[in-house]
Amino acid sequence: MSVVLAESLNAWWPEAILSVGALAVLLLGAWTRRDRPSLVAAWLTLGAGAAALWMAPVPPAAGTFFGLILCDPFSLAFRWLALGTLAIVLLLASASRELAASVRGECYGLLLLLGVGLMLMAEANHLLMAYLAMELVSLSSYVLVGFLRERRSAEAALKYLLFGALSSGVMLFGMSLLFGLTEALAFPDLQAAVAGAGGPMARALLVAVALMLAGLAFKISMVPFHMWTPDAYEGAPAAVTALLSVGPKAAGLALFLRLLEALAPLWPALAPLLLALTVVTMTLGNLVALVQTNVKRLLAYSTIGQVGYLLIGLAVHTRVGHEALLVSLVAYGFMNLGAFACVVAVMNGTGSEALEAFRGLSRRAPGLALACAVFLLSLAGIPPLLGFIGKFLLFGSALEAGAVALAAAAAVNSVIALYYYTNIIRLMYFAPPAQAAPLSPSPALRLALGSCAAATLALGLWPGPLMELVSRLAVVRLL
Amino acid sequence: MMLSWLLACPLVGMLVVLALPKTAVRAIRTVALLATGLALLLSLKLLLAYQPAVAGMQYLERVPWIPPLRVFYHLGVDGISVPLVVLTGLLGFLACVASYAIAERHKEYFALYLLLEAGMLGTFLALDLFLFYIFWELVLVPMYFLIGIWGGGRREYSAFKFFVYTLAGSLAMLLAILALYLRAHTFDLLELAAAGRTFELGFQQLLFLGFFLGFAVKVPVFPFHTWLPDAHVDAPTPGSVLLAGVLLKMGGYGFFRIAYPICPAAAMGFGGAMALLGVINIVYGAFVAMAQTDFKRLVAYSSVSHMGFVLLGLASFTPEGLNGAMFQMVSHGVVTGAMFLLVGVLYDRTHTRELAAFGGLGARVPVYAGFLIFFSLASLGLPGLSGFVGEFLSLVGAFGVWRWQTVVSILGIVAAAVYMLQVIQQVLLGPLNERWRALPDMTLREWLSLAPLLLVVLGLGVFPLALLSVQDATLQRLIAHVVGAIK
Repeated sequence: MSVVLAESLNAWWPEAILSVGALAVLLLGAWTRRDRPSLVAAWLTLGAGAAALWMAPVPPAAGTFFGLILCDPFSLAFRWLALGTLAIVLLLASASRELAASVRGECYGLLLLLGVGLMLMAEANHLLMAYLAMELVSLSSYVLVGFLRERRSAEAALKYLLFGALSSGVMLFGMSLLFGLTEALAFPDLQAAVAGAGGPMARALLVAVALMLAGLAFKISMVPFHMWTPDAYEGAPAAVTALLSVGPKAAGLALFLRLLEALAPLWPALAPLLLALTVVTMTLGNLVALVQTNVKRLLAYSTIGQVGYLLIGLAVHTRVGHEALLVSLVAYGFMNLGAFACVVAVMNGTGSEALEAFRGLSRRAPGLALACAVFLLSLAGIPPLLGFIGKFLLFGSALEAGAVALAAAAAVNSVIALYYYTNIIRLMYFAPPAQAAPLSPSPALRLALGSCAAATLALGLWPGPLMELVSRLAVVRLL
Repeated sequence: MMLSWLLACPLVGMLVVLALPKTAVRAIRTVALLATGLALLLSLKLLLAYQPAVAGMQYLERVPWIPPLRVFYHLGVDGISVPLVVLTGLLGFLACVASYAIAERHKEYFALYLLLEAGMLGTFLALDLFLFYIFWELVLVPMYFLIGIWGGGRREYSAFKFFVYTLAGSLAMLLAILALYLRAHTFDLLELAAAGRTFELGFQQLLFLGFFLGFAVKVPVFPFHTWLPDAHVDAPTPGSVLLAGVLLKMGGYGFFRIAYPICPAAAMGFGGAMALLGVINIVYGAFVAMAQTDFKRLVAYSSVSHMGFVLLGLASFTPEGLNGAMFQMVSHGVVTGAMFLLVGVLYDRTHTRELAAFGGLGARVPVYAGFLIFFSLASLGLPGLSGFVGEFLSLVGAFGVWRWQTVVSILGIVAAAVYMLQVIQQVLLGPLNERWRALPDMTLREWLSLAPLLLVVLGLGVFPLALLSVQDATLQRLIAHVVGAIK
């Protein structure tokens, strides 16, 4: 037993360091009420976590924590994704002027804790672990969304909490049903138990699974569990919104993939539902985004639309689809974090988060406007940016699986989405600025913008290495 | 490496422009002029060095680019692409000269302009379908900005309309490309052309429809043409020149390079529909052009009409028809490019494009009048000038195959004579409008940007073999490939 624990801890140092560091940052922030010390501590924690992850043995020698979590190459990729997201979001949070200095330390601490939850979601190999990880992410997000001292923020947090509590309850109910039906909680056991089911048992299982997936759908903003997204995104500080729009989506999709692997015998029954929801999610997100005037709300609906595209990779349930999903997730992470970095920069400069704040940005901040245009065009799927590669692979996976209608729906959606993405570009480049004063992003924001833009462009031009990496991941057994 | 150097000219120019401070307007212009000039020289060198008699692609370059997808950086030229590359080089340089009239945000303008030129050249050089698509889409973004920032009228609306129409078409093409890749597991156009003949007809037809939507928006084919008048009218003069001169040709080129070789049986099957659409383009475009009161809009609709001959020639599957279609693309590029430059010359001075606002300018600005008359006659298809050769060959080729469609198309030529002579009459003849008493004639820069086009139009009209000899062998092989697939 002690051997197992030692081996497990050995593989799990990154999360352990992050958890302890997060708590330390939290305390430091609450104690000093100052920004600087906790920020330094947060970066140190993140750096130590990254170093530990770099040295972590993959795969570990024995089953980690008695099979509760799985530190395989698949989760390794998502752990790196979570750390990268955290790094960019820390840059944004430290550069943002929205947050009062006295609460920043706690904000950093909670961000790190949320990161631990994200990593756990990708590693979970057991229903309980999955539930705990998701709750860790959710609870940290509820608090983070309400971090601004204004009514709107508190309202958003409350809505988010109520909706989140409901869906997590539904998910737990589904899990308990599943446990009652199969007497299994670990994913491999679940797969074995589900495999032989037929008749009434299969239908009961399907109900349980559908209820359970509601919780996941909530996390990844899949229709019809997307309603919280625009409100929470609008009320939250922009940096937190950036994290919410990328982190839980990636981790949620990772968990979704693993769960679907465990429930593979039920796939034929689940497929039509998932396929329909994929189309509805992208269409609804893109259509509602057309009429938004607040940039955070617009990006919230854009997120729903993008999740719809990502779900294609899941819904087709093929190796090509999973590869496409992973590449697109990386693309989505870079371009969406970049877009939110632009939002933070514009909010810092103008104090407004209306679309109108982007008016004439190309004259006030040419570099910022260029970076923003790159992210938006990438989100719209224009080559040679990384977003195009993701979409290309997703559309390809849909055609490969014979889902021509799905590919066509995604193509139509891309045309719709072009309107609201270019609308921001239009404001930035075609419209005269309301005021002429130059707007200069802080160094931290420049770093975030520059790294995201460089990745979006460079990986778009040379996607080969990324795709090879992903194709090695996609053949890994998920259970 | 010659083709890569050609492609590198505008790209390096763009990077240099981006590195210059935005106040160094003179340096920025010079760099842009050097870059486009060098590209023109290289494209001329390519034309001279190209050997029409040698079968297949020349100056091939093939380097792996995205190995997991089997995408190659694969360039090469044949008799279909060489004329269009030279056309792009020529118009790219001349429109750059005309860009001296751009008054604001020079750095952004010339950077985008050079990116646009790189995209256009790349589209004609790429032999890998993935690469082709990248270049094809790369053209959209700078043109969107050129129209939206430096355009006039409803520039924002027109820019967006251009973007969304073309992207919608492109996505249909993208689906076709993906379907093709999943079937043949390659993006190599040469391999695809060989494999395409073996596909069953239903699959070919689906592919053809996807590609057709992509190319039809660009050409533009009725009823996908409505973006064209808006975009052409509201674009700045150099943008209009490149839109009409080169971007429309990308659509036509797509049929020659992709749709015909890869889906030959489907192309033959859809020949009747293509011919019909060609006739509609010719006649409808011409009649709508006749009704225009705005000079630029009239030229824009005349493009719709003239591109109809390309479709008609394509639909014939005869050597004359295909030669005519290719010839018409080059000729239309030069003539309409010149017409847009002429509209721009007048607009820069008078700030109006209403035909009724002019009158009697012939005596006031004789040099301008000479150019306008020359290019109007070329546009209406006067024998001895390039427009005639293209239209004549297209009609001759189509007559044997699509008889009544060809007969109806003649109406378009008659209408072209009407609207072009109306232009001459309304702008140059009649009593002089007193407002333009002090109108200055063309400057040296404007003269220099138009004179080469005049020479090309005259040269091609008198000695069409100069172009025909470059393209004919390749087109013959294309027809053999397409028709051979049926037998």
